[in-house]
Amino acid sequence: MDETDLAIIDRLTEDARTSFRQIAKELSISPDTVVNRYTTLREQGVIRGSTVVIDPKKIGYQAMAVFMIDASPANVIADESNSAAPSQILEKLIRMPSIIVATKTIGDHDILAIGVARDFEHLICLRDIIMRIPGIKDLEVSFWVKRTEICPKYLVI
Amino acid sequence: MPSFANIDEIDVRIIRALQKDARANFSHIAKDCGVSTDTISKRFKRMKRNGIARGTTVLLNPRSFGYDCVSSFGIRVDHLHVGEVIDFVDELPEIVFCTPSLGRHNIFAIAVLKDVGRLEQVKEHIKRHPKVGEVMTSIWVDETQLCPENFEFQHIKKK
Repeated sequence: MDETDLAIIDRLTEDARTSFRQIAKELSISPDTVVNRYTTLREQGVIRGSTVVIDPKKIGYQAMAVFMIDASPANVIADESNSAAPSQILEKLIRMPSIIVATKTIGDHDILAIGVARDFEHLICLRDIIMRIPGIKDLEVSFWVKRTEICPKYLVI
Repeated sequence: MPSFANIDEIDVRIIRALQKDARANFSHIAKDCGVSTDTISKRFKRMKRNGIARGTTVLLNPRSFGYDCVSSFGIRVDHLHVGEVIDFVDELPEIVFCTPSLGRHNIFAIAVLKDVGRLEQVKEHIKRHPKVGEVMTSIWVDETQLCPENFEFQHIKKK
């Protein structure tokens, strides 16, 4: 990656819909160069994709919650042979409406999921649904209402 | 009750298309919805104006930029000093998200870091604050899954 790549990335981070022609003009390079650089960055996986950032509050979500999950030992071990395959718990979580991030973790818990909730009743409902997933030993929930967007550079929801 | 911005099924289809690929061609979305490209463009502008869509962005791989470690923190703080500690934590350049929370910890934060060594430094730094108690860390293992499409739109106008 050189400065041109970084400039293209910067521009697209600000607005992913910026036309390649516009970027070319701003950087005083040819549109073809921008297209080629973009294609290469995509192929290398530097840019994994693009998305629209939604404000959850505007569509009726008042709270966000993090679910910190401890899996039963058998479930954790079963996955060890093939660490690339997400565990069954993770797969179930990610198919749940309202769960927008899920990841295996090392440290104080085994799995972490972040979800959006319409209200407290919905939050409790989400917790109960997660608790019923087989292989979950324990669950800790923290939630917040103020900051309901996660849209930093390397982690966009 | 808060009022929700008026969005209908076409708006939701626009959002769904852009969630998958923010560079999606408006003319393709228009075709799918059976409306004009101009309509799609106007609707997207309106959603940006009223704040439903905060904007579009590319998803970057932190590892390509030398950040090998994503970690979340649960921090327990003397509850009278949450704001002060949030400012203290948020100041660290690696912190990408930081919020007061209710639960066992009263601050939840996410950091994107060079490596585990830096994670340790950051954790120690946070712990040095006199009002900070327990600091829990969880390192996110590689296959973190992001599913913005799991947002359900409850309040769309039925036609």
